[in-house]
Amino acid sequence: MLTLYHWEPNANSGKPMLALAEKGVDYQSHYLDLLRFDQHQPEYLKINPDGTIPALVHDGRVLTESTPMMEYVDEMFPGPALRPADALERWRMRWWMRFFDSYFGPSVSMIGWSIFVGPSVRGRDPAELRAAIDRIPLESRRIAWRKAMFNEFSAEELAESRRRVQFGIRALETHLDRHPWIAGRSYSLGDINGFNLGFGLPLSQPEHCNDRITPRIMEWLRKIYERPATQATWAKGRTSLASRVTMLKRQS
Amino acid sequence: MLELYHWEPNIYFLKPLIALGEAKIQFTAHYFDPTAFEQFSPDFPQNTESSLQLEREGPLLVSGGEVLSSSFFILEYIAESHPAAGLDPQEVYDRYRARAWGQYIALQLAPGVCALGCARYLAPALAARDPQQLTARIERIEPQERRAAWQAVVSGQYDERTQEAIRERLKAPVRRIEESLGRAEWLAGPRYSIADIDAFAMLAPLPQLAPGLVSEATAPRIMQFLRRVRARPAVQQALTTGRSGRPEQAFVPGAEPSRWG
Repeated sequence: MLTLYHWEPNANSGKPMLALAEKGVDYQSHYLDLLRFDQHQPEYLKINPDGTIPALVHDGRVLTESTPMMEYVDEMFPGPALRPADALERWRMRWWMRFFDSYFGPSVSMIGWSIFVGPSVRGRDPAELRAAIDRIPLESRRIAWRKAMFNEFSAEELAESRRRVQFGIRALETHLDRHPWIAGRSYSLGDINGFNLGFGLPLSQPEHCNDRITPRIMEWLRKIYERPATQATWAKGRTSLASRVTMLKRQS
Repeated sequence: MLELYHWEPNIYFLKPLIALGEAKIQFTAHYFDPTAFEQFSPDFPQNTESSLQLEREGPLLVSGGEVLSSSFFILEYIAESHPAAGLDPQEVYDRYRARAWGQYIALQLAPGVCALGCARYLAPALAARDPQQLTARIERIEPQERRAAWQAVVSGQYDERTQEAIRERLKAPVRRIEESLGRAEWLAGPRYSIADIDAFAMLAPLPQLAPGLVSEATAPRIMQFLRRVRARPAVQQALTTGRSGRPEQAFVPGAEPSRWG
């Protein structure tokens, strides 16, 4: 029995969704609406007391960290290998996933929260929003939600996030100039991780991520977009966050 | 032959020293002093990943000319390329748990431990140096996050109030590890693994740096765990690789805390 609790095919939720699709593994899908705070409701907190998404439940075991979760999916289920056999390439895949998860991703998502998540919920009753914040288990998530809901990201932290996103784009372009895929010679979880974080960059950072300045990133994103598993996964999206992916369609 | 670039057997540097010893792997050790900025000398191994260094000044493993950085991923590399040593958990789910611990410790525990250690030991050591030379040297460090981490130590950013806030943030990860050790002897499955090596290296300084958080009274299972790991011959051996005689006081800036608060 395999159940995935997830939001949109985007960022952390999209990582196990795309990994499972690439493996060809069927699972029971539970869509949680992040913008309706489904992830902080009592029934979900019974599954993941931290109230973060995604969560994968397999034979009664609960997995809540999306990057190690993808490695679990790759090791546990049959289907094409999503990690290189070579130990050095595996190291490189993991290093870049950490770069995405701890450096690039938080900056991309801070901008995303300030322009998409925050405005999506801001029109609601402030008392309702404050009650929603009080139900969040992790202090770090409470801070993030408070800032997004009440537009409290400071100009300095947003500027620093933009600087880091631009730095990350340059680092990624240089990396993809040396290697066709994140781990090296083959498509892997590193590409799945990076795509979930980066598929929106040509739209959100058009002056820094485009065919002229970052041709390697653009080609890499398009190649991943064209994979059947990516098409199937992004078709599950319900918001404009996911439908942005169509801008990666090649103009024939 | 593997080559390990390391400093005193403490924090990030201690992890590969233990794992290589546990797996009985022969390696060439290159001791360097990151407080003398030797890691920035032109003949020091370097690649894109090591210069971005998410763990700042941490150890490097050189294998077949390739430069590996980030200490938990070095542990995984050692464990996977020497499976007979049994350092990776046997079950798939336990390997998930080991990786989840590796990530959690790197992001939730290590930044605070390194900051407290720098405040206590590195800041006074740097304060005794020629300030002009030191400032000029630090100003040349790239990328800017790595430079800023050194500037924070030198400029006295870790005052008593900041340290108290760091100790406060360490409460949750310490509690989580203490609870896990209450359910089982090791962190990721029935036997000792890379998760325990990783946790040991970052927990070991805490009885000294934050006795209010980790002591016989407040975290008895962590204290037992530290004794259990420290008693292993490979750990004993790793702890003798220092030159200062005080490896438990050897700190440099570590990974940065989450920018989300």
